[in-house]
Amino acid sequence: MSSSRDDFGIAIRSALLQRGAKQKFSLFFVFCLSVLIFFLDIYPNKFMDVSRSLLNDVVYRISTISSSPLNLGSNIVRNTKKHIFIYKENKLLKSELEKLKSKEYKIEFLTTENKNLRETLDAVSDNVNISIVAKVLIDKKSLFLKSVILNKGANSKIKKGMPVVEGNYFVGRVVEVNYLSSRVLLLNDLNSRISVVIQETGAQAILTGTGSDKPSLEYLPEAYEGKEGNLVFTSGKDGMFSAGLAIGKTVIDNEQLNVKLFSDSSQLSFVSIILNSKIESNNF
Amino acid sequence: MALIKKFKYRFAKLGPIILLYFLSISELDTEFSNYFEILSFNLQLIIVYYWMLKSPNILGNGHVFFAGIINDVIMGLPLGTSPISYLVVSLVASYVKNVTVNISLFTDWFTFLVALLFSNFIHMGLMINFTELNITYTDLFYNVFFTFLFYPFFWFLFNSYRVATHVGKDD
Repeated sequence: MSSSRDDFGIAIRSALLQRGAKQKFSLFFVFCLSVLIFFLDIYPNKFMDVSRSLLNDVVYRISTISSSPLNLGSNIVRNTKKHIFIYKENKLLKSELEKLKSKEYKIEFLTTENKNLRETLDAVSDNVNISIVAKVLIDKKSLFLKSVILNKGANSKIKKGMPVVEGNYFVGRVVEVNYLSSRVLLLNDLNSRISVVIQETGAQAILTGTGSDKPSLEYLPEAYEGKEGNLVFTSGKDGMFSAGLAIGKTVIDNEQLNVKLFSDSSQLSFVSIILNSKIESNNF
Repeated sequence: MALIKKFKYRFAKLGPIILLYFLSISELDTEFSNYFEILSFNLQLIIVYYWMLKSPNILGNGHVFFAGIINDVIMGLPLGTSPISYLVVSLVASYVKNVTVNISLFTDWFTFLVALLFSNFIHMGLMINFTELNITYTDLFYNVFFTFLFYPFFWFLFNSYRVATHVGKDD
């Protein structure tokens, strides 16, 4: 018994401390270093913040370069597929265009009416957003975090918490800012919580990421009966985002009210960061 | 001719390191949820375990550590979580190498499960106790399961690579 315990100890000690002829570091040394770096990183301090920011910028740039052959390949495949289905897509687009044209007249009428009513009320429009366009540098799937990395950072006045949109559709918020890059937490991430409002009913809820492409609606009013096809917008109640950014449409999956997002998070290439949101603190 | 042969051998020796770094730094991932919802596996852990077990001098602890740090930066995890996870796998591999004489696919596969469970247990512990990131336990379970399941495939693949290139024959 004692001898087998000794053997175990010797084998573990040997595994931890021995260095092969061409090994520069023992396992024990790099393990201690990893633990030290981990604890330095999780407890905020100025030195690690600056170091991490610099490391992030350097690694993101190298990653972009190393991923370029892969991206080229996937772009070729995507474009080829698009060309194959171009006739079918054209037919579909034509029918959608007709529908949209009829809607446009209605929107024009509503916009004029809204403008007239605002003038009557002497209200100032707060819907003008100042935004900056950024390119998605890295979009790597992860088990823990659904996020993308953008090529704009603190040098472009980006701050933590700013909303990010693709076209007119809300896709997520900035959670990490480096000098030349930033990370966006997508709506479908488990850690994402956004205050939203549901069209028609005006019900308020929290949009919670589930890891899948359909985040769920939580904290709905009691006895709320969900209906498919209702539009979901940011409510602006969280004090971070302006109200009215379109997110998606409601769908019912297994009696749970979820939201089918308008933007496909796996296909993001260019996004806009809204700069005049209600973010006060400078995070860099 | 001898020079070309030497160059080829040196390049072949760098193969596993290049693959490990490339998987950590590039957009290439082993999560296939677009095709099959639960399919994802951790190829880095397979590489670290296999090469640490068969020829530790090829990969090296320093490279494993740096690949882990790069992975953390790209994934947005606290620095050090992936290196700790990789090094636990390395430790089990070194231990198994020290205590066993005859290594077959089945002994490798079984001990890999132990390494995988240890590594993920520590990784999960760090994430739960020291970060505010939420984890889907079922996704993590499927990831461990598929990593374990695919090990024999990569075992044969890396074995063929070793035979073809004569890499690590001195270990």
